[in-house]
Amino acid sequence: MTNQNINVALIGNPNTGKTSVFNQLTGLNQQVGNYPGITVEKKIGFCKLPNNVKANILDLPGTYSLNASSIDENVVIELLLNKNDKLYPDVALVVTDVENLKRNLLLFTQIKDLEIPTILVINMADRMKFKGITLDIPYLEEHLKTKIALISSRKNFGIDELKKLIVSYKTISSEPCLNASSIDPEYFNSLRKAFSNQLLYKLWLVITQDVNFLNLERNEIRSSFTKSHSDLKRLQQKETIKRYQFINDVLKEGLKIDTTIAKDFRSKLDRVLTHKVWGYVIFFLILFVIFQSIFEWSKIPMDFIDGTFATLSTLAAEELPAGVLTNLISQGIIPGIGGILIFIPQIAFLFMFISILEESGYMSRVVFLMDKIMRKFGLSGKSVVPLISGTACAIPAIMATRNIENWKERLITILVTPFTTCSARLPVYAIIIALVIPDNRVFGFLNMQGMTLMLLYLLGFGMAIFSAYILNKILKIKGKTYFVVEMPNYKLPLFKNVGINVIEKTKAFIFGAGKIILAISIVLWFLASYGPGKKFNNAETIVTENTKQNPLSEAEFENAVASQKLENSYIGLMGKTIEPAISPLGYDWKIGIAIISSFAAREVFVGTLATIYSVGGSDNEVTIKNKMAAEINPVTGEKIFNFASGISLLLFYAFAMQCASTLAVTKKETNSWKWPAGQLIFMSGFAYVVALIAYQILK
Amino acid sequence: MDIQEIIAFIALGIALAFLIKKFFFKKRKSDKNCSSGDDCGCH
Amino acid sequence: MQTTIHSLKKGEKAIIKDFDIDIVPLKLLEMGCLPGNMVELLQIAPFGDPLYLNINGSHVAIRVETAREIEVEILKNNL
Repeated sequence: MTNQNINVALIGNPNTGKTSVFNQLTGLNQQVGNYPGITVEKKIGFCKLPNNVKANILDLPGTYSLNASSIDENVVIELLLNKNDKLYPDVALVVTDVENLKRNLLLFTQIKDLEIPTILVINMADRMKFKGITLDIPYLEEHLKTKIALISSRKNFGIDELKKLIVSYKTISSEPCLNASSIDPEYFNSLRKAFSNQLLYKLWLVITQDVNFLNLERNEIRSSFTKSHSDLKRLQQKETIKRYQFINDVLKEGLKIDTTIAKDFRSKLDRVLTHKVWGYVIFFLILFVIFQSIFEWSKIPMDFIDGTFATLSTLAAEELPAGVLTNLISQGIIPGIGGILIFIPQIAFLFMFISILEESGYMSRVVFLMDKIMRKFGLSGKSVVPLISGTACAIPAIMATRNIENWKERLITILVTPFTTCSARLPVYAIIIALVIPDNRVFGFLNMQGMTLMLLYLLGFGMAIFSAYILNKILKIKGKTYFVVEMPNYKLPLFKNVGINVIEKTKAFIFGAGKIILAISIVLWFLASYGPGKKFNNAETIVTENTKQNPLSEAEFENAVASQKLENSYIGLMGKTIEPAISPLGYDWKIGIAIISSFAAREVFVGTLATIYSVGGSDNEVTIKNKMAAEINPVTGEKIFNFASGISLLLFYAFAMQCASTLAVTKKETNSWKWPAGQLIFMSGFAYVVALIAYQILK
Repeated sequence: MDIQEIIAFIALGIALAFLIKKFFFKKRKSDKNCSSGDDCGCH
Repeated sequence: MQTTIHSLKKGEKAIIKDFDIDIVPLKLLEMGCLPGNMVELLQIAPFGDPLYLNINGSHVAIRVETAREIEVEILKNNL
């Protein structure tokens, strides 16, 4: 046991700076994954402590109490109740905010009842002077039966003392600090007698919560000690009152606030940010700036990445010994990897903005501001967060609906979130916009391409809201409705937190979606390079036959052979088969292939076209964009990517459900195949009709 | 078949195996979890 | 008519008296919404809903339909 790492669990209310403490302790030594079977983010970090002790730090989801109301909170309870879990904490750190100590201590007293050695971390201590707060640490330590670390994760002080405390965890008390069972002595005494080898508070949690408990026979406990839902809730209220009485008594002596010193910055900002006019104006201005900058700022790095990979591809073809593998590398793998890396700038910017909005506390004001309006459409103010983070990716956005208390509002939010423009659509939009919308400026400063992008985002939001309205009329679901949202203090976002968040999310994207894109690129290359029958294998002879009258130059001949081969390759045949269905939308069979492969993930579109055009295209054009611009329809002689087909494609990608992972998450979160199936059929059908109408009008 | 072609086809095999695992097996596994366990994420 | 949190004007403070435990969510109790605690109405959202409150030091927003269920006694001299 001596050389094993100690397990430290970080527990705390949301908005206490728990994640900053985690980042301070672990730096970039983090692993982000999921808990088995469920999609709750699991963050583990490693930390070197004094005396050569090493610790695994587990950042548990934020929770207000051990009375769980979502699966994120269930994770906390399941871990703390299962002593056999290999992450079961040797010591728990309860992170609190000095300004909300009273409320934060509620969770602390519950953790203490589990008899785990617990350190009380009082964060944001740098704000004590500003708020006129003084603490009597020895008094608090004595009455709360704990050790206190007074820290500021922002100003980076107290972290070393905290580390020293963690090392000495064996000396920290694991006794409860109050006797909560006195709320109903008779009931708890009989419970204690029946299960004498179990912790009383643990039994109480088993009775009141809907979580998985290994090693505990829930049915047995429940059948003999059940109470009506309403009686249980009454007892829970008594328990909460009891805990608050204790906390109030302790804080009366241990915490003093000189209100004359306290400065109120929050209420001034609130007055502006939740103002009935300025509130909305500011919100839309912020969104506008975000979307303009995503397009403008990412342009240079994106062009750079695109160009670099084109050069690499050419280099590989020239320098490596000729053969099948070289072709696969230069036409399949390198363009495939380029197609992944090209998203990095836009995704990083998007995650950065979302992370800043959340860190600063502004997101809660948006929830407050939008609730009444959103409710008209069957959504909740809290739906704004998934709808905005859906611009990064629908998967975490759908998971973020978990804090919406009302099931109908939550279901509608889940169903409409995939309409928001996720980052996977961005590269598709970017390349098509660059091809069919002129790069001009209106009024000297508004970039037309940027404006088109913004319109597409608005279209996504608009469609989400509109479908929500329809769903609200159709769905007949009744449920208890309530809405509680904490309005945290305003904070300047910490560079370190935003940075780590951006790096982790981008990494997850690259390695998650990236592997799929790369694998698909390889498969596509094979499908495009091999084909059945004579038409493919005798391409040279056929071309020579066809051009007997007027012989081609060598380069022209090679191109003709390449396109003859591509048309008769496996992928060409697949594309030709579906061409009748998509030609009314203005697409040729090559775009058809790209659309089919998009069902694995939308961003595969660009990579697919890159692969197809690398195999069959002319050698004069190097980058994907230029290759696409040069494509010409052999029948009409028009450009394939013209205004009409471009708009039709943009609309198709705006509405179609093309993401297998989103469907899987919807299935998981709604626990039924009905809803993802509905999403797939309705969204894709609608996309087809809209794209058809747009092309037929514009052509 | 030359050595380049052999390696290329091995790469194809790996890519296909990865995709099949990703899109078929993983899903089936999680279905099992959902039907047997009583906690599958929502109420 | 009962005096509830919904009857408060912006900036007014009150003491929580009683509420129906079956309607008011447990999460709100944990935030400090318990009989005897003080509540202050800080902001009203555009269109009159939701309400932004300071309950016992916690800053939370709740909808009018919940606020209507929580009976209070208004503190007259606005301490």
